[in-house]
Amino acid sequence: MTEYLIRRILQSVLVLFLVSVISFALMHAAPGGPLMVLLPKSGTQAAILQQEKNMGLLDPLPIQYLHWLGQLLHGNLGYTYKNHVPVGQILWPTVGNSLILMGVSWILSLLIAIPWGIYNSTRAYGLSDNISAAIGYLGFAMPAFWFGILLQEMFSLNLNWFPLSDMHSMNKQGDIGDLIWHLVLPVTVLVLGFLASYLKYSRASMLEVLHMDFVRTARAKGASEKRVIYRHALRNALIPIITVLGLDLPILVSGAVITENVFNWPGMGRLFVEMAFAREYAVLMAISLVSTVFVVIGNLVADILYAVVDPRVQLGKKGGAAA
Amino acid sequence: MKRVRKWLFPIATLSVAGMLVAGCGSNTSSTNNSQNTSSSSQQPKDGGTLTVSTFSDIVTVNPLFIEDDSSGDASQFIYANIYDVDRNGNVVAQPWSLADGAPQISNNGLTYTIKLKPNAKWSDGQPVTAEDVVWTIQTAMNPDTGSVLMSNFDHVKDIKALDDHTVQIDLKSVYAPFLVNLNIPALPSHILKNVPVKQLQKNAYGTDPSQTVTDGPWKWTKWVQKQYLQFDKDPNYWGPAPHIQTIVYKIYADQNTEVQALLKGDVDLDEAVPTTQLAAVQARKNITIINQPGPQFEYLGFNFQASNFPGNFDPFTSEKTRQAIAYALDRDSMVKDILKGVGNPINSPFLLPPVGWTGADDKATHYDYDVNKAKQLLQEDGWTPGPDGILQKDGHKFSFTLLYNTGNSRREQVAAVIQQELQAVGIQATPKGMDFSSLVANNLNPGKFQAVLMGQVLTPDPDVTQLFSSKDFPPNGENMFWYKDSKVDDLLEKAVSTLDKTQRAQYYQQVAEELSQNLPVVFLYQYGLPMAYSSRVHWADADKPEASLQYGYFYHIQNWWLD
Repeated sequence: MTEYLIRRILQSVLVLFLVSVISFALMHAAPGGPLMVLLPKSGTQAAILQQEKNMGLLDPLPIQYLHWLGQLLHGNLGYTYKNHVPVGQILWPTVGNSLILMGVSWILSLLIAIPWGIYNSTRAYGLSDNISAAIGYLGFAMPAFWFGILLQEMFSLNLNWFPLSDMHSMNKQGDIGDLIWHLVLPVTVLVLGFLASYLKYSRASMLEVLHMDFVRTARAKGASEKRVIYRHALRNALIPIITVLGLDLPILVSGAVITENVFNWPGMGRLFVEMAFAREYAVLMAISLVSTVFVVIGNLVADILYAVVDPRVQLGKKGGAAA
Repeated sequence: MKRVRKWLFPIATLSVAGMLVAGCGSNTSSTNNSQNTSSSSQQPKDGGTLTVSTFSDIVTVNPLFIEDDSSGDASQFIYANIYDVDRNGNVVAQPWSLADGAPQISNNGLTYTIKLKPNAKWSDGQPVTAEDVVWTIQTAMNPDTGSVLMSNFDHVKDIKALDDHTVQIDLKSVYAPFLVNLNIPALPSHILKNVPVKQLQKNAYGTDPSQTVTDGPWKWTKWVQKQYLQFDKDPNYWGPAPHIQTIVYKIYADQNTEVQALLKGDVDLDEAVPTTQLAAVQARKNITIINQPGPQFEYLGFNFQASNFPGNFDPFTSEKTRQAIAYALDRDSMVKDILKGVGNPINSPFLLPPVGWTGADDKATHYDYDVNKAKQLLQEDGWTPGPDGILQKDGHKFSFTLLYNTGNSRREQVAAVIQQELQAVGIQATPKGMDFSSLVANNLNPGKFQAVLMGQVLTPDPDVTQLFSSKDFPPNGENMFWYKDSKVDDLLEKAVSTLDKTQRAQYYQQVAEELSQNLPVVFLYQYGLPMAYSSRVHWADADKPEASLQYGYFYHIQNWWLD
């Protein structure tokens, strides 16, 4: 297990390095630059050239990359080009904000979807199953911005029950109750989106397992229905669900740009889009790095969880599910 | 309406497809229907928080490096300008300007002597001195700084402090627009003079509120990046004290989110309401809309460098052809349908009154929408319809690519209209949207395109040398059209070389005549988005916002007050 983890982490470092080289090259290949996004006034061309010099944008790309990498190894994500603000100062708060919004939505969705999906698998095509199917259709079909605007219209502008947007009221920065109050509407939007897929996954994967021979065997040897479902069927049904969750983990930090936009949530999804338009390379690099780290972690956590729920999976051994 | 139970509205809203049509929200219970322009009974009141919305964060408030609107907005609250511009486009010393009265200009027009107010102070208590002004201008002029203000001072030969409160500036030649260039703040030299100029842009001055010493009515107290900036009344402020205690400059995801917040009452001032949302905002009694075009105009620009066209054939070289295009475009309908009435068709690159003082647009040729006239001119110019209906001349099709920037729905729509209307006279225009920075870097800066739909901001000084003079070709100038007309060159030169305003106005009238005949670009309209204010915000008539000045949505904001 330890050996496996070390190998995986070393692989991950390589992945991170490659991703950073490729994203660095790609974003510099896009035309324009951080200082060129505005139509220059007369005579400002010279000024912009000088600014590029002063801000280190005229160095050859490999040098700029090595410079960036060198700083990174010292734990420094670099500075924005336009105003020399430390990237971390911009990035980390948005990562945290996205994590709050997405984390709450995600956990809430799992708490609803998994038990409900299991329940529905035992009573397929019953009322509860049909309701969950309807929610699934709605969640898949309704664009997040649309649902978000509807909720705002109804519960904020008209009923005035919830705030329209933002994380905090201006005069209550940092207040937990205020934060929860602000979370209600965006979380509703995101939960609907998550539920749509998670309900289907958990129901389908349970249904599949429930028809397998070992379940019949369990029943035949006289295990109670409860034991059959939670002890025998569930553990097997969880494997595909874990795969999906592992793949979804990175969105916890990468955020949901559309929902963040509608509710003016200062998260990383919005930051990424804004910084891409502004060609703030250092921030973009940091975002791609953080996202990649979470992709890697997501996969790793999924692999470890396979072993936890299914004792047949032995990490690092031949024939294990680790590949 | 007010009596109807609130819960009915969500249902009504759902049924009309959720657009922003909810005319009556909880806010309508307020009976306040005042239209901001203060009734005489209302006295200015101190205190309160004004929330201003925007859709992008600032970069830096250091005036040497301000290039974006948000940073410019923020700097309006915290700096005093050397001179200010009034509603009629005059450069004047206001009670809140650093200058004490108009400059003394020597008889030869070359030496400006400027007296500064002796009581002006920085937020750290130090006096604002002539040394600060001299340092600011010298630093802006220094090419190593990389300041965008550098070109403001191209004509400056020498600048020095005569005493603590007197600055003398010598110009190389008489240059009338110079005075407008002094509509800038000064920087605190006692804080910055030891920073090497190449390091200034990286300095925390301008990005760290605690290190940004300023001299305006408010001081910058807080920056939560990507969320909001806060400005509080500066206890050290030397000028007439502002009424509003705190200004919050709040960053929203986009213009639509801003409007939602305005409707909700979270925001008091929205500088630019998208026209698609105008009806929803107008339906609110507690929001006042100021519906005048801003200081910018849009144009259809042609390229006069043949190498940009296949076979080196530039279809735009003839004046008659360009006039035909002007006749073929229905600008009135564009203003009515796409701009929702917030715009004026213009015929020259000059501001209309009150800010514009040249009267130039009156002298310009006006092209009414007239398809037959357009067809006739094209025919006279030697264009004949080809087999596919597209005009041809010497075996070349009249076909070109029209560039514009994506993400700007107004330009997207106007580009499509231009395509249709030119199609009707046999010209094939293919609109192509591009990401703005790519467009600027690859096409506009080097002057490589066939035709472009773009906008331009007009300053209170009417000089347009940088746009239309052949001295300003790319890569250094902004005449990306490669337009050359010696008559225009000559008039533009003369117009900046005299300080006599009447004389200048006459020159610009002639420029307008020439440009509107010659049409290096087809002038479309002066445009802008409506400004919206909550009814909490009050001002006297003289202090009301002025749409066609840059930052005019904050015009005389220090005199405004809140309920």
